[in-house]
Amino acid sequence: MIHVENMSKEFISPKKYPGFKGAIKGLFSNEKVRKLAVDRISFDIDKGEMVGYIGSNGAGKSTSIKMMTGILTPTDGFCTVNGIVPYEHRQENAANIGVVFGQRTQLWWDLPLSETFSILKEVYNVSDVDYKERMDFLQEVLGFDSFIHSTVRTLSLGQRMRADLAAALLHNPKVLYLDEPTIGLDLVVKDRIRQAIKEINAQYETTVILTTHDLSDIEELCEKIMIIDEGKIIYNGTIAQIKDLYGKRRMLTLDVKEIQTLSDLNFHNIFQLGEDKLQVKKEQSSITFNFDKDSLNISHIISKVMEKTAVRDIKMQDTQITEIVKEIYKHGI
Amino acid sequence: MRRYLHLYRVFAGQFMKSLIQSKVDFLIGLIGFFFSQMFGIIFLSLVFKQIPNLNGWTFEQLVFIYGFAQIPRGIDHFLTDNIWMLAMRYVIRGEFDRFLLRPINPFFQLICDRFQADALGELIVGFVLVGVSVGNHTVTITVGNVVLFVISVLTGALIYTAIKLLFASLAFWIKDSIAILQVAYETSDFAKYPISIYAKPIRFLLTYMIPFAFVAFFPASYFLTGKNLLTTIGAEVLIAFIAWLLAYAVFRKGLTVYESAGN
Repeated sequence: MIHVENMSKEFISPKKYPGFKGAIKGLFSNEKVRKLAVDRISFDIDKGEMVGYIGSNGAGKSTSIKMMTGILTPTDGFCTVNGIVPYEHRQENAANIGVVFGQRTQLWWDLPLSETFSILKEVYNVSDVDYKERMDFLQEVLGFDSFIHSTVRTLSLGQRMRADLAAALLHNPKVLYLDEPTIGLDLVVKDRIRQAIKEINAQYETTVILTTHDLSDIEELCEKIMIIDEGKIIYNGTIAQIKDLYGKRRMLTLDVKEIQTLSDLNFHNIFQLGEDKLQVKKEQSSITFNFDKDSLNISHIISKVMEKTAVRDIKMQDTQITEIVKEIYKHGI
Repeated sequence: MRRYLHLYRVFAGQFMKSLIQSKVDFLIGLIGFFFSQMFGIIFLSLVFKQIPNLNGWTFEQLVFIYGFAQIPRGIDHFLTDNIWMLAMRYVIRGEFDRFLLRPINPFFQLICDRFQADALGELIVGFVLVGVSVGNHTVTITVGNVVLFVISVLTGALIYTAIKLLFASLAFWIKDSIAILQVAYETSDFAKYPISIYAKPIRFLLTYMIPFAFVAFFPASYFLTGKNLLTTIGAEVLIAFIAWLLAYAVFRKGLTVYESAGN
């Protein structure tokens, strides 16, 4: 459905100098700052897939999405969406895609929501039959009946986001781009949006690309993730795989009776492991070990602790995707 | 094409609805515009109290030129006022994104987003003054003149649109082109008076650089004298055509360098 090959985007802006003197200097200098926002990325996404696209702020997520939607023209390489080069055939491409930018509405600010929908019906040339069916479905999954006659600018953020999502889906797009669709939303609305995306994908086999900073969105919705950092795709695969690859860390928390008895133990010396393989954190009445499961056996830790004090409770945790991603952002792959 | 006409009706219908909802706003805007134009005429009449004619033009003829100039300006102002937003907001704030995400022409969406009802003030003044000129026989109504009048005001409006679009499109490169657009647009104020009263550089500017002289003075002078049809209205049509092609090409080129804005 989506094919991206060696796609790059470079932004060129005049160099700025600090201060008032700098502003004057900037007037006369011809120096340019080049910023490679996206650096030769390549990937493929199949029909009906839901892909999480993550990266820290300024990593190049939005820029690559904007190229795939046709807003920006790549400086190098190309992409096709459903066989169409989006930035060369914008209007043709626009009929196939739906876009929601969490930070910016696509709706007409001064119009009631109902009018917005009827305008979009004309813009996308949706037949009466399809329109009715689609509206019924979207109303059911997104529930906008209570505010359909309100002006867009009076909607709350949660309402507006549901409205934006509905507007992006009215013409039953083949590909849906969601750029931070749950930003700033409360848990109830977040959940509603996620359910809606799931149902739309199931019902219409819509391909979904989702960028977010909320990794629970991705864990709930996507099987595949792509991680972009400094303009390069540094990971592209399933979530299960990344957990396998980077998820060798385990977290073990022991609730102990007398924490002070452990104070003179140096676990790094005992297990002959450095800070990279083992981290220990003591709290009021518990001690947490964050360790590499291949280098250290759980039973060793427990028995060492139990030599000193009684253990009241044991908690074992798999690595969270959040932790993995934090690691990758920090250190790269 | 039929689809666009239909869509245009849909957008215009929305505009009418919101107009009805904000009557007061509309009336204030209209009255404001009407008065600012009327003051121009009053000023002109005061000047003519002192002098019998200006560079060979009588007061009545000047009133016609002044009134005639308002009509293409008003038509353009009414239909395409939203082009200003391209120069001052849409590019620098990345709001132009939404026009690129819908399956219709971005320029069409740009002008459909807002109509400017204030422009009716210009149109009313324009038609009143032209009516006065017909009444006192400064100009005469013939079938030919009416046809030429329609052609001239429409192509004149197109020249306005093209000049606005050209300078607004510079925003794609320089992000904010409101200052340069303002200067270019305001040179049209010169065109309300006979071009022959100006110094050479301004005449050159209005004729060859920013061709507002062809929007108002040249066609109006044809209706007053009946002479030089080809070099007045004929030239106007040709210039409108060229200016539009040039402006639209720059706009299209601008779309490919559009950089949006970060979130």
